[in-house]
Amino acid sequence: MNDRLKALYKTQILAHAKSPFNEGVLVNYTHKLQAYNPVCGDQFDLYLKFEDNIIQNASFKGYGCAISKASTSVLTKHLLGKTRSEAKALIELFLKVIDPENNESPESITSDDELLAFTSAREFPERLTCANLAWEKVREVL
Amino acid sequence: MPWIKSEFPIFETARKEGRPLIFLDNASTTQKPQCVIDAIAGFYAGYYANVGRGLYWPATAASSGYDQAREKVRVFIGASSKKEVIFTSGTTDAVNKVVNSFLLPRLEQGDEVLVSEMEHHSNFVPWQHACQSKGAQLKVIPLDAGLNLDLSKLASMLTDKVKVLAVTAISNTLGVKNDLKKIIKLAHQYNIKVFVDAAQLPLSAKINVQNMGCDFLAFSGHKAFGPTGIGVLYGKQVLLENMSPLAYGGGMVQQVTIDKTIMADLPTKHEAGTPNIAGAIGLAAAIDFINLVGVEEIGKHSAELRKYAVERLSEIEGLTLFAKDAKTTAILSFTIEGIHPHDIAAFLTEKGIAVRAGHHCTHPLTHKLDIGGTVRVSFNIYNSEEEVDFLKNTLDEIKSFFL
Ligand SMILES: Cc1ncc(COP(=O)(O)O)c(C=O)c1O
Repeated sequence: MNDRLKALYKTQILAHAKSPFNEGVLVNYTHKLQAYNPVCGDQFDLYLKFEDNIIQNASFKGYGCAISKASTSVLTKHLLGKTRSEAKALIELFLKVIDPENNESPESITSDDELLAFTSAREFPERLTCANLAWEKVREVL
Repeated sequence: MPWIKSEFPIFETARKEGRPLIFLDNASTTQKPQCVIDAIAGFYAGYYANVGRGLYWPATAASSGYDQAREKVRVFIGASSKKEVIFTSGTTDAVNKVVNSFLLPRLEQGDEVLVSEMEHHSNFVPWQHACQSKGAQLKVIPLDAGLNLDLSKLASMLTDKVKVLAVTAISNTLGVKNDLKKIIKLAHQYNIKVFVDAAQLPLSAKINVQNMGCDFLAFSGHKAFGPTGIGVLYGKQVLLENMSPLAYGGGMVQQVTIDKTIMADLPTKHEAGTPNIAGAIGLAAAIDFINLVGVEEIGKHSAELRKYAVERLSEIEGLTLFAKDAKTTAILSFTIEGIHPHDIAAFLTEKGIAVRAGHHCTHPLTHKLDIGGTVRVSFNIYNSEEEVDFLKNTLDEIKSFFL
């Protein structure tokens, strides 16, 4: 298999895609969002539970490729315990990590392995919407 | 068929990391033979002008090229008159035009339009929209367990309320072929007009609209070796005559005064504005090419490859084939348990294999099948068994990487 593509599907991503973090419906959520990519049909319901301005719980359920599933999984994991503004900052940071137009090295943006796992998305602009689908959606409500 | 493949320059020039292009997305669009490229370039470089009124050379040559293209299409689809051949920009354009000019003025509240569950959005959304705007009902003919159109259900849905039945010749997602003759015969018992979406038909079987009995039929040039932006709408002469123009403007008139306009005769009446002359000339060259190779030959070659692909891909554990036994078409859809179609397509493209992944513009169908999408391979005259073998081996590699 091609190395460039293998890099995109790092073990981190495959691991998250296979056994995602917090997959399932959250019962007592405060926000339910639908992330939908009309181009490919990927669709996730995202559940967030805010309490005292802090995200106490997050989960997702839906259908998508390995990249979009893993990125949604990583998102829900990283949102936990964050305030609105912290969550916003996290999302901005992640979007920079995967932005093909960004010249900064990803490692200078973050040292978090789970976020850095998606850096190869920069080389596959056609997969960018897979990597940022859920992130863009959550950004809208913060 | 090596000599045929060498007619398509893209296979010489396009290279994916040194590997040739394996183009298995022919249901979406086909590659272009040199003769089509040359015909278009030849028109622009050699005798370019507008069609219609010009009395000078090269306008006369351009008009004659455009007219000959119409005649080629007429013979290609077995229509009795050139008046029944209207150039459009494609299948989608043709559907919209029939909806606007034929259906809408005749559609009343409580009327019905029938479409099938396997329709491409292009042959679904325009009818749906028309029905909603008039308080009419869009009814969907279901598929049976074998994913063929359920003809007994269809029969029970036919009533005097139905104004139009719109159905595809071949499902662009499943590759199943509909028994159009039978469907049309049934519909005509209730005086229902039948629109055939023939987008996937021109390279599969010889079209004969008279034998088929359809009222309207449409296809796109680009799916039959021709250029993009050109398509054909066939309509029975009496219907086209009684329809208001598909569009209004220059070119389609006989006489215009401040009070009224007298329309030109068929087919000009339905072609307002400067047409896609180069497109029509390119389509004519594509038809010449198809005739040279033979529609039957192309259809047979692709169907045999589909059959071979069914055999080879069946060897892969966890792979589900859809409408496995569909006969004589070029299209095959599958899924692999645990791997999303887009992930499969992403790895295939790294090997130079172009396939389509997703819902293929058939949401109602993928919804019915309860799947988020499929991987679709579709064959053409330039594909080979070796390519199918390579696909099979690459799928094995993908599986071992993911699972
Ligand atoms: C069955 C069917 N109908 C309609 C269309 C639409 O054709 P076009 O986009 O050329 O208008 C397609 C193309 O994918 C198709 O496969």
